[in-house]
Amino acid sequence: MKSIKGLLKHWEFILLLLFVLEIGIFGVANPAKFFRASSILASVTNYISVCIIALFVTFVMITGGIDIQASALIGLTSICIGVLWSDVGLNIWTAVLLAMLLSTLCGALSGYFIAYCGVQPMVVTLGGSLLYSGLALLISGLSKTPAYQGISGFPAKAANGSFTGFRFLGKGMLFGTIPVPVAIYAVLILLCFVLLHRTKYGRKVFLIGVNPEAAEYSGINSKLIVMSTYILTSIGASIAGVLLTANIDSAKYDLGSTFTLSIITAVVLGGTLSTGGKGSILGTVLASLMICIMRYGLPLCFGIKTQSLDLPIGIMLLIVVIGRELAKNKLILQLFKRRK
Amino acid sequence: MKYLNELKKARWLSSFLFLIALFLVTGMVNPDFLTYSNIVTSFNGSVVFTLLAIGIAFVIMTGEIDVSIGAVMGLTATIAGQIAKRNGSILEMLVFAVLIGMLVGAMNGIGVSFFHVPSLIFTLGINGALRGLIYVVSGGKTTENFAGAFTKIGNQVLFAEVTIYLAIIVVIIAVIHLLLTKTKKGKYFIAVGDNPNGATLVGISVMKTKMLAYIICGIFAGVAGVVFASKYGQVNIVAGTGYEMSAIAACVLGGISLSGGLGNILGAAFGAVIMSSVSRMLVFIHLPSNFNNTLTGVMLLIIVVADALVQRHAVESARRKRLLSRTAAFDAKVGGKK
Repeated sequence: MKSIKGLLKHWEFILLLLFVLEIGIFGVANPAKFFRASSILASVTNYISVCIIALFVTFVMITGGIDIQASALIGLTSICIGVLWSDVGLNIWTAVLLAMLLSTLCGALSGYFIAYCGVQPMVVTLGGSLLYSGLALLISGLSKTPAYQGISGFPAKAANGSFTGFRFLGKGMLFGTIPVPVAIYAVLILLCFVLLHRTKYGRKVFLIGVNPEAAEYSGINSKLIVMSTYILTSIGASIAGVLLTANIDSAKYDLGSTFTLSIITAVVLGGTLSTGGKGSILGTVLASLMICIMRYGLPLCFGIKTQSLDLPIGIMLLIVVIGRELAKNKLILQLFKRRK
Repeated sequence: MKYLNELKKARWLSSFLFLIALFLVTGMVNPDFLTYSNIVTSFNGSVVFTLLAIGIAFVIMTGEIDVSIGAVMGLTATIAGQIAKRNGSILEMLVFAVLIGMLVGAMNGIGVSFFHVPSLIFTLGINGALRGLIYVVSGGKTTENFAGAFTKIGNQVLFAEVTIYLAIIVVIIAVIHLLLTKTKKGKYFIAVGDNPNGATLVGISVMKTKMLAYIICGIFAGVAGVVFASKYGQVNIVAGTGYEMSAIAACVLGGISLSGGLGNILGAAFGAVIMSSVSRMLVFIHLPSNFNNTLTGVMLLIIVVADALVQRHAVESARRKRLLSRTAAFDAKVGGKK
C-alpha cells in the first residue's frame, strides 16, 4: 500500500495510469479498429516531429528556458535539403548534413544570445522563429519549384513499392513492422534518457534549473550548458525536419510551422516545470505518446473531426495543469487526509 | 530640462525613434514613401496589431504572458463574420466580442493568479481549446460573403485619410496612457510586474491586478477580431494564428520587458506599427515580401540583444561607481585616523 502511495507521488506513474486508461477507453469503444499495431505505429510516425523535438525541449525547459523556434527549424532544414539536392545538385546525404549543420548553427546563435547576452529565452526564440522561418522562405525562393508546391521526387522508391536511400528514413520499415522514424525515436529516447539522467551533463542541466546562481558559484560553466541545450534542440529539430521531409516526400519552407504549441504541450504535460529544475524524459515520452494516441483514437472511436482535435487536447492540458497545482496545494491535501 | 531628463528615461521613445529611422531609411531608398498618405496608410494598416499589442501589454507589464489572444481574435472574428452574414449590427458583434474576451480573460486570470499555473502553459491550453472551438463554430469553413456595409467601415475616412478605426484607437491609447501613468490604480500593473511581493506589502492585490490585466487583454483581442473581420472581408479557420507572437514581438520592440514592470502603452503601439509597416516598406525598397519575416526577426533580435547589453553595461558601471565611492570613503576614514 505504501509503495503505491509513493508511486502516486511520481508524475510519470500517474501519466502511465492515464495512458493505460486512455488506451482502455479507446479499446472498449472500438476494439476492432483501434488495436492495430500498424495503424498505431503510423499515427506515431505522423506525429514524430513533435515527439522528437519535445525530447530536447525538455532539456531547455529544465534549465528554465523555453524554445519556440524549433518548429521554424523543421521548415528550414526541409527546404535546405530540397534546394541543395534538386537545384544545387548535391548528393542527398551531403544535402542532409549541410541542412542539419545550418539548423544547428541557428540554434547556436539563439543559444549564444540567451546564454551570453542574457536576453530572455522567450524573446530570442520568438525573434529566432521569425528569422529562421523567413530564411526558409528566402531559400525556397532560390529554387525553380514554386514555394507553395514543395520540392518532391526524393530518392528512391523501388519498383516493388519499397523505399531505399533517403526515403527509407521516412517510410521504411524495420523487420517489416516498425517504421524507421519510430525506431529512430526509440534510439533518441534512450540517448536523451542517458544524457539527462545518467551523466554529469544532465545533473548540471538540473542544477542550473534549480538554482542558476549556485550552479555558477560551484564552478559550472553554466552559460555553455544553457547554450548547449538550445543547440541540442536545434539538432532535434533538424532530425525531425529530415524525417518529415523523407516521410511526405516534399521539401517545403513552412513544414512544421504549427507545431510550436504542440511541442510545449507535450513537454509540460510530461511534468517538466516551465520554471525549470524539474522534469524527465520518461514523462515527456509518455505525454507525447498520450497525445499521439488521443489524436489517433478520438477520430477513430468517437468520430471527432481531425481539425477540432485541438479542443480536447487543450482541455486535457488545462485539467492536468490545474489538477497538478491543486494537488500541491496543502489545504486541499489536508482535506483529503481528514476525510480518511 | 526636467522634461528632457524624463524623456531620456522613456523607453517608448527609443521605439518611436526607431520607427522614424525606419521610415527615413525607406524614404532615402525611395522618396515616394515619405508622403503623408503613405505614412497614414501605414498607421491605418496597423490597427489590428495595435489593438492586440495594447491588450497584451497589460499582461506583459504584470510579468505574465498570454498566447491565447490569437485564438480569441479568430473566434470573435468568426462570430462577427457570421453575424455580418445575416446583416446583423456591429453593436451586436462588439457585445459578443467583449463578452467572449472577458470570459476568456477571466478564465486565464483565474488559472494564472488563483491556481498559480505558469501563464504560458495555461494560456496555451486555452489557446488549444479555443482553436478547437473555432472549428466547431465555423463548421470548418471560411466565413465569407458578408452582407451590408460591414466591410466598408474599415475604409471610411474620417478626416485627412485617417480611418475611423485609427481615430478611435488613437483616442483609446491616449486615454489608457493617461490612466496608466497618472492614476494610482493604473500604476498597479507596473508595480505588480516589478515586484509582486513588494506590491502585496503595500496593499496591492496581485491576484486582482493580474486578473484585470487578463480581462483587459481578452477584451482588446476580442475587439481586434471584429476589426479583423471587417478589414479583410473573410475569416478562415486559422485566422489569428501567429498573431499572438507578433503582438508579443510588438511589445518587445516597444520596450516592454517580458519579465514585467517596465514599459508603457505608447511603446506597444509604436512597436505594432513597426511590425505591420515592415511589409509595406519592403515594397518601397523593391524587395520581395519574402523578406518580411527575416527582417522582423533580425530587427527584434538586434533590439533585444542591444537592450540587454546596454542594461548590463549600466548595471556594471553603477556597481563600479558604488565600489569606488565606498573605497574612497574608506581611504578617507583610514587617512583621518593617521
